Amino acid sequence: METRRALGVVLLIAFVLAYPFIDRALGLQTVHAVSDGMIYVLLALGLNIVVGYAGLLDLGYAAFFAIGAYAMGLLNSPVLGSPLYGHAWSFWLCIWIAAAVSAMLGTLIGAPTLRVRGDYLAIITLGFGEIIPVAIRNLGDVTIQIGGWRPIERLNLTGGENGVNPVGRPFLPGVPFETDPLPWYYLILVIGALSLWAMSRLQDSRLGRAWMAIREDETAADCTGVNPISTKLLAFALGASFSGFAGSVYAAKLQAITPGAFEFQVSIMLLCMVVLGGAGSLKGVILGAMLITIFDRVVLAETTFFTRWVGRSLGVPLLATADLTLWRWFFFGLGLVLVMLLRPQGLAGRRVRPVPAGEGDDAGELAPPPAPRVEALPAFLRERAARPGAAADPGLMLDVRGLAKQFGGVIALNGVDLVVPRGAIIGLIGPNGAGKTTFFNVVTGLVRPDGGAITFEGRSLVGLRPNAIVTRGIARTFQSIRLFANMTVVENVLVGEHCRLRATVPGAVIRPPAVRAEEARARERARALLDFVGLGGKDQELARNLPYGDQRRLEIARALATEPRLLLLDEPTAGMNPRETETLTGLIGLLRRELGLSVLLIEHDMQVVMTISDRITVLDYGTRIAEGTPEEIQRHPRVIEAYLGTGYEAEPAARGAPR
Amino acid sequence: MLALVDVHTYYGSIRALRGVSLTVEPREIVTLIGANGAGKTTTLRTILGAVRPRRGTVTFNGQRLDGLATDRIVRLGIAQSPEGRRIFPRMTVLENLEMGAFARADRAAIAPDLERVLTLFPRLRERIAQKGGTLSGGEQQMLAIARALMARPSLLLLDEPSMGLSPILVETIFKIVQDINRQGTTILLVEQNARMALRVAHRGYVIQTGRIVLQDAAAELLRSDLVRKTYLGEK
Repeated sequence: METRRALGVVLLIAFVLAYPFIDRALGLQTVHAVSDGMIYVLLALGLNIVVGYAGLLDLGYAAFFAIGAYAMGLLNSPVLGSPLYGHAWSFWLCIWIAAAVSAMLGTLIGAPTLRVRGDYLAIITLGFGEIIPVAIRNLGDVTIQIGGWRPIERLNLTGGENGVNPVGRPFLPGVPFETDPLPWYYLILVIGALSLWAMSRLQDSRLGRAWMAIREDETAADCTGVNPISTKLLAFALGASFSGFAGSVYAAKLQAITPGAFEFQVSIMLLCMVVLGGAGSLKGVILGAMLITIFDRVVLAETTFFTRWVGRSLGVPLLATADLTLWRWFFFGLGLVLVMLLRPQGLAGRRVRPVPAGEGDDAGELAPPPAPRVEALPAFLRERAARPGAAADPGLMLDVRGLAKQFGGVIALNGVDLVVPRGAIIGLIGPNGAGKTTFFNVVTGLVRPDGGAITFEGRSLVGLRPNAIVTRGIARTFQSIRLFANMTVVENVLVGEHCRLRATVPGAVIRPPAVRAEEARARERARALLDFVGLGGKDQELARNLPYGDQRRLEIARALATEPRLLLLDEPTAGMNPRETETLTGLIGLLRRELGLSVLLIEHDMQVVMTISDRITVLDYGTRIAEGTPEEIQRHPRVIEAYLGTGYEAEPAARGAPR
Repeated sequence: MLALVDVHTYYGSIRALRGVSLTVEPREIVTLIGANGAGKTTTLRTILGAVRPRRGTVTFNGQRLDGLATDRIVRLGIAQSPEGRRIFPRMTVLENLEMGAFARADRAAIAPDLERVLTLFPRLRERIAQKGGTLSGGEQQMLAIARALMARPSLLLLDEPSMGLSPILVETIFKIVQDINRQGTTILLVEQNARMALRVAHRGYVIQTGRIVLQDAAAELLRSDLVRKTYLGEK
């Protein structure tokens, strides 16, 4: 199997390398078309970072293609009358400048727009995609007048509608770039292969995982320590830089560029390539881009030729004059509709695998999850716990004073005080809608408080973004499970480690020994954590395919991967059966006992809360109505009235069993 | 009233139900208990037509349901309170409740029913103009149940109604279940909280890995070893 795969790869590489000669031998004359196809592959791969990995719908990606092409055009073949005239720079320098300029503009338009939600981002990119060609057209005749002073008069910067012509070609001694399509084929192949290599390494790194986490659930990613703003900006900038390469090579290959080549349709065609092949899959995007270009450049032209021949032979004038290339958008649209209907994940997209029968379900049913074992506790968590914390004050972990929050007219939190001592398990209970989850959201930075102070290990948390709070050492789980559904189990945990890893873009691509070691360590830790929570052996499953109880445990593993000193659990046992609940209760107790982890726990299962909490705070209508030990809370008349109900005492199983 | 005969449901190649047969008689509360992934929710989804059984039949008052579209099934008088609080987040509480009555023909009776569910859930009356998505998790759960009641179904399917509710509300919910049953609604109750479910139900089924392994009167099930060990957490 392995050798067959390897053989296939070798054959494919040999075919790609030999293609121009095969083409010449067969007289196909498709080398130009295939080279252009590879440029589109490069563009589509760049767009795939933005759309496929980070999940940001970009409708104006051709703008970056234009910027790359014009950067090359203007530097390498200055337009007559432009201030750059007379300084044609080397192609080999210009491609880097083009990529850098594209990345810079990507960051520039990304920065203000990435805070907006998905649909709005798409509209803004659409606008950007329209602006750039218009700007290029109008920069052919620039006059700036301030009062009577004209510092710039009738400047031709971009060549306007006529574009830039001719653009200089690359120079390598002895290589005929001017006359032969062959060198172009190999040049683009080399650039494409290098880009592909860089991208596949990025995909499988700390940064690639962060992009996918953002795509899957931005809020959960933020609360797992991934900074959504910088992560999205990086995706935008990198995506733009690849199109900068593509644009500059395109300009030099065509030798002439006009603003018409970068219209809205090009953005849509690139998007089609990504979606057709399968967003997020490198193989798929290459396939999609190649298929569409070959179809457009070769198949449509040949079919037109053939149709006309048929028309002439049969004497049908309609066919004899038909031009199928005018129908290209019709065919693209039709193809896209068919793909969406028949294979919505794209031709080579990652398929959502159903759980194999007889596993998952059955195992969960017949054998209850294994009880957490002290020996299985990952060593790195122990080390982390043994290290002295940042706090000068050993007593208080979390100190919340007078926390207040209103939503519209509804008071969600009304001056709540709550203290979590180091190594304590504090229960937070109260009627539904009392403000418990809002309290979590404020502490973790998702919601800004209207008033009050939140101090963690002696430092204020107010105003920090969720990911910064995770880095400080607070992790949380969600009431309704929020995993990265289309990522594997182990990837989910690795995203948890994101904020403890350091690899940068060059590091992730080049992988020096330090980065390799870091990645290996991260995977080792993830495996250890999964074994610990009882998910060992399921690390390659997609998170969405896990049974419910496993998903809850995975969320806890992900939270632990951030190396927290305080863990906020929002109804961790909701929807679990008694066995699973018991196991989870044991796990929480063990974490506190062995690691000294502090836990703040929202839970409606009174057996759990009363058994493991040291103290309990009760909220009702955003106000703290009681605070005390479990025994005090169970007897508290207001708590019984508002929350526990009278039936509670008659429930034998609900009484906290002595430990 | 409702009868499933040897129902096999698949997700792709995965067998979720492996021959489930169960009946619900008029005015009964029947509970289906089982672990996560045993097939409880799939059973409800099959009844409602959200997935089609590959084999077996589902009949409701003598009419075949398997193969019908969900909205047709709802019009026949079956309503479900879905697990996981699937409410309309950008509509107000009132609009959510009105949507529950969407398929009803008796427009005049809707106002008194609205009053009835708001009396059952005073918390929803307090939140009546708020957007569904701004409610807390437990409140959304109440809204989902109330919305199902607004359809005034003859058969109500409840999927984990007690999930995420405070102890006092869990009690209230089960009281409400008994109340609406006394008022004539037949109920099929899927629950993780087996103890409470078996207390209010007349009969119960235990489902494991897509098969019914036990069925009996609820009181008998509460005494059975299997239920006590596996689902009540007793040693």
